[in-house]
Amino acid sequence: MNLRKYFTLIKAGILDFLQFRLGTFVIIVGNMIYLIVIYNLWKAIYASVDTPTVNGMTFEETMIYLVLASSMFSFMECFLVWEMGRSIQDGNITLALLKPMGYAKYQYFSLAGNLVASFFLTFIPTFIVIEIITNGAIRPGINLLFFLFSVILGTTINFAVDFFVGTICIYTESIWGINIMKEVIVMFLSGATVPLAFFPKTLRSIVDFLPFQAIYHTPLTILTDSTLTIPAMLSMLGMQCIWVVVTLLIGNLFWHFSIRAITVNGG
Amino acid sequence: MNNIIQLTDVSKEFKVLNRREGLKGSIQDLFSRDYKTVHAVNHISMNIHPGEIVGYLGPNGAGKSTTIKMMTGVLEPTSGEILVHGRTPYKNRTQNAQEIGVVFGQRSQLWWSLPLIESFKILKDIYQISDVDYQDMLALYESLVDVQDLYHKPVRQMSLGQRTLSDILAAFLHNPPVVFLDEPTIGLDVSMKSKIRELIKALNQQKKTTVILTTHDMGDVDALCKRIVIIDKGTMLYDNDIEHLRSFFGAYRTLKVKLSKHITDYSEEAKNRAIQTMEELITPQFPNAHFQISAEEDWVNILINESEVELMKVLSFIQTKNKIYDMQLDEISTESVIKKIYEGDGGHEPA
Repeated sequence: MNLRKYFTLIKAGILDFLQFRLGTFVIIVGNMIYLIVIYNLWKAIYASVDTPTVNGMTFEETMIYLVLASSMFSFMECFLVWEMGRSIQDGNITLALLKPMGYAKYQYFSLAGNLVASFFLTFIPTFIVIEIITNGAIRPGINLLFFLFSVILGTTINFAVDFFVGTICIYTESIWGINIMKEVIVMFLSGATVPLAFFPKTLRSIVDFLPFQAIYHTPLTILTDSTLTIPAMLSMLGMQCIWVVVTLLIGNLFWHFSIRAITVNGG
Repeated sequence: MNNIIQLTDVSKEFKVLNRREGLKGSIQDLFSRDYKTVHAVNHISMNIHPGEIVGYLGPNGAGKSTTIKMMTGVLEPTSGEILVHGRTPYKNRTQNAQEIGVVFGQRSQLWWSLPLIESFKILKDIYQISDVDYQDMLALYESLVDVQDLYHKPVRQMSLGQRTLSDILAAFLHNPPVVFLDEPTIGLDVSMKSKIRELIKALNQQKKTTVILTTHDMGDVDALCKRIVIIDKGTMLYDNDIEHLRSFFGAYRTLKVKLSKHITDYSEEAKNRAIQTMEELITPQFPNAHFQISAEEDWVNILINESEVELMKVLSFIQTKNKIYDMQLDEISTESVIKKIYEGDGGHEPA
């Protein structure tokens, strides 16, 4: 297999991202505003209880978790559902289908470049800021390496979920509602808005059987939980791998089933 | 292999929901199972030889794009068989994509925000073009058009003409045996159109690329295509050389004569009188011919089927009887023949 074409797409994604420098800036500002809101929200929650920890997490831990979660969310958000939905509506999907590689692969590697660029430009700065403010609350070590792998797996699952939802657009030919629904479900069930530790027991056990927690929760836990042993981290990565395989498989099957039914509009 | 593209009895049907009117209707539509079948393409067969430029014509909604999409593998035909370069396109879409180039005049496959040369480099890697072939192709492009000026310009800043030109170059970049051009000159100015026609022609000749071209511009057809295929309402109407097209309706030419110097009377009666005079004049002389005579301002127009009577004979006969102040000969243009075909004036009745 010639890997060159995949690298070239990643490179194109990075170049593409860098063309819109202002966009990065806006993302960071938007993130800040969001963080101010959740800072005050969680401050109020912790003020209302007497103990310094809620569900085993201190205020500081919760904040670190949520700050990282939101910056992860903003760099992972790949707008694939929009992209697919729109190209199905206006017929531009034809052009992507006429590339000499599978549609899913083409989309994945085209987006990967964007993700790499925004990882370095939004997530890394946020991480460094947190380290400075909290005086190194996250101890850098082997967990950083595991985290990196975990992020790649997480983005792949996120991609597969988006790809699945994007495929639904073939049938509905509308995007807005579906995308909003997806975002709410993924953000909530993945632990990006509320740490999973705060979930009620029954919900928590349901969430554990869903792929969404493997998107944000697993990499964040690996990064922030200093008590994790290497075997524990490995088994978390293993779970993620299983989810990658399962979600990609389902996404691809659904896609191949649906593409037969495609009616390309326009032209 | 004799035929590079082979379509055998190809049909494509779409199921479309019957939409109802108004809010109430729209709500009912949500639960409706009331589909109607649209026959976009009906039993089309054609064979295309390597190196041909084939004009694929038809009015809007005739099924041209549907056929192109089936040939590129995006759509699967409902029935019939398609072979492009020995492959069934929809079954091996990704492999097929390696061997075709496609330009949709209204869309761009280039990377919107990147300079053109970056798009070319990406395509080079995606299509796995070797360095030598890539350099050769760029050298060829540079010899044909002023593409160097465009290399470092982001595609989104290009004019429509520059963008179309770039898209065509991108489609030929991996030197595919077949290129589909779907309305490549749409919305372009006259000079850009001719530039693009020359480019297509040159690439076809140099690279022996087979080109399937859909267009609404007869200038494209006259400049590029030796052979045209016309479809309407999904049915094939014509498939032959462009020279035969004119005789498709008989060898018609229009003779226009001016018989009086200054006509002051532009009324309907005067016109009818002029028509009648002409008819009485020439009909007895050429009893086997069917003329169609009309009048406009100073002119009397006689549509003559040259397979019945030679136009020059009619002209010289009129001259013996009447003084001719001025005359004109109108060839039937490709455009008007095709217009007639589109409008369904089939058979051999001149319009």
